[in-house]
Amino acid sequence: MLRLSEVHASYGAATVLHGVSIEMGAGETVALLGPNGAGKSTLLAAVTGTIRSRSGSIVFDGAEIVRAPAHRIVQAGVRLVPEGRLVFSPFSVEDNLRLGALRLEGELSERFDYVYRLFPRLAERKKQPAGTLSGGEQQMLAIGRALMSRPRLLLLDEPFLGLAPLVVHQIRSALEKLRASGLTLLIVEQKLDIALAFASRAYVLIKGAVVLHDTTADLVRRANLADLYLSLAPRG
Amino acid sequence: MRDLLELSVSAAASGCIYALVALAYLLMIRPTGVINFAVGEWAMVGAFGGFLLLSKYEWPYALGMAAVLGFMLLVGWITERIAVRPLVERGAPLLAAILALLGMLVVFREGISLGFGPDPHQVPEPVSFEYLKLFVIGATLVVFAAVWLFFERTLWGKAFEAVALNRRAAALMGIDLRRVTVASFAGGAAAAGLAGLLVAPNTSAHYLMGVPLAIQGFTALVIGGVGRVEGALLGGLLVAFAEQLTVRYAPLPSGYAQGVPLLLLMLFLLVRPTGLLRARA
Ligand SMILES: Nc1ncnc2c1ncn2[C@@H]1O[C@H](COP(=O)(O)OP(=O)(O)OP(=O)(O)O)[C@@H](O)[C@H]1O
Ligand SMILES: [Mg+2]
Repeated sequence: MLRLSEVHASYGAATVLHGVSIEMGAGETVALLGPNGAGKSTLLAAVTGTIRSRSGSIVFDGAEIVRAPAHRIVQAGVRLVPEGRLVFSPFSVEDNLRLGALRLEGELSERFDYVYRLFPRLAERKKQPAGTLSGGEQQMLAIGRALMSRPRLLLLDEPFLGLAPLVVHQIRSALEKLRASGLTLLIVEQKLDIALAFASRAYVLIKGAVVLHDTTADLVRRANLADLYLSLAPRG
Repeated sequence: MRDLLELSVSAAASGCIYALVALAYLLMIRPTGVINFAVGEWAMVGAFGGFLLLSKYEWPYALGMAAVLGFMLLVGWITERIAVRPLVERGAPLLAAILALLGMLVVFREGISLGFGPDPHQVPEPVSFEYLKLFVIGATLVVFAAVWLFFERTLWGKAFEAVALNRRAAALMGIDLRRVTVASFAGGAAAAGLAGLLVAPNTSAHYLMGVPLAIQGFTALVIGGVGRVEGALLGGLLVAFAEQLTVRYAPLPSGYAQGVPLLLLMLFLLVRPTGLLRARA
């Protein structure tokens, strides 16, 4: 469904991704792990067309998208829930969701129902400005907004960051429902326990390169997993 | 009393012209961050369009006005394609686009002066002279109401606003940033062209008319704040009232009155750089 081969990406003169290759099949849940600054968010930016300088090959559903503009990639069925949520604070919950559906081909009310059923909390706060929601509610809105265009691949950038355990639990069970519905998920996460329990395979990214890639079942069996980042991180 | 009423109507009419120029700035600044000082020259192009179609070829006013506005949309569209998009696509900083647009300003001005000569050209009024000010006020209010409705009530207006709030998030919604940018320039050119067309019966079309309008409109924008459409209208009216009240009541030689907007501009930049109306945040 998604295949990255030798993807490079840079901000100005600073190259962040040095030839990353990743592959995932339809319906799979894959985790992308790695320490701060490894380039995880940059990788998602490359897939969604939101970093200017990117090269290599990114094939989604048989189509090359590495040169496509961001709105075409959304149209093709890829959605990102970005780091920091980036909800439109002055707009109501409803308007945020409506904007999420700009590229929807299909019935709007059905999508609203779907998202409100997944996150009943959003239905209760329809008319409230997104900026006044709690962090957890904003994360629900960010996820709901991405689902509005009925994507086939959902990319999640640290969706649990800074959230209380109860909210983490709620969002996690929503994501589990999405996974069960057959949606393909790529989730960036720093906390190993969550990521390994949730995904079936994982890639570990360090300094812009994939250093390890395995099924989560095998990764969990490694006794020294907690030290993995440290041992793999280049010293100095 | 009568005197004050006349002064108010006259100030409101010039305020509306400034407001339209401020609106032109605002339409472009909101989604792109680019301050386009060529709005004054766009107003000039609108005024010359009026001269050509309405004076020279004697088209009926409504038709000529529609043609000028249509032409201005095209001017804005082309300006963006030539002076902004190539820079944005190479990842150049905003300042590069602002400077390229200053270059366009000179191109517009010299082009017009080559084509029409340095003399002022008469542009007819849409209605008899005593109602001209009311017409200007009415037309401006219609434009502001339409733009306000666009931003508040339509999905595409919300999409424009989303680009203004966060370009990256907007792109992730599937909004075509290039299309929003080019549309904002087309809309800005139409607003500025309308200002030029409406002011021309009083000032005539002249190749140097752009810069004062650009300054007054910019002052109006700074005073009103770039956050909201209503701010441009409020700012325009405030600048014009300040100007005309100074001319009328202050014991200053009339040339000094032209300094009033600049004084206001400096004052607001120092005291309240966000303008009177804050963006909704
Ligand atoms: N907009 C930007 N301009 C310049 N450099 C950037 C930009 N965004 C990220 N970088 C740099 O790119 C590198 C990778 O950043 P990235 O955000 O992809 O890391 P990450 O793996 O997502 O980290 P984190 O876990 O902290 O979110 C970092 O060194 C960062 O400083
Ligand atoms: Mg990140």
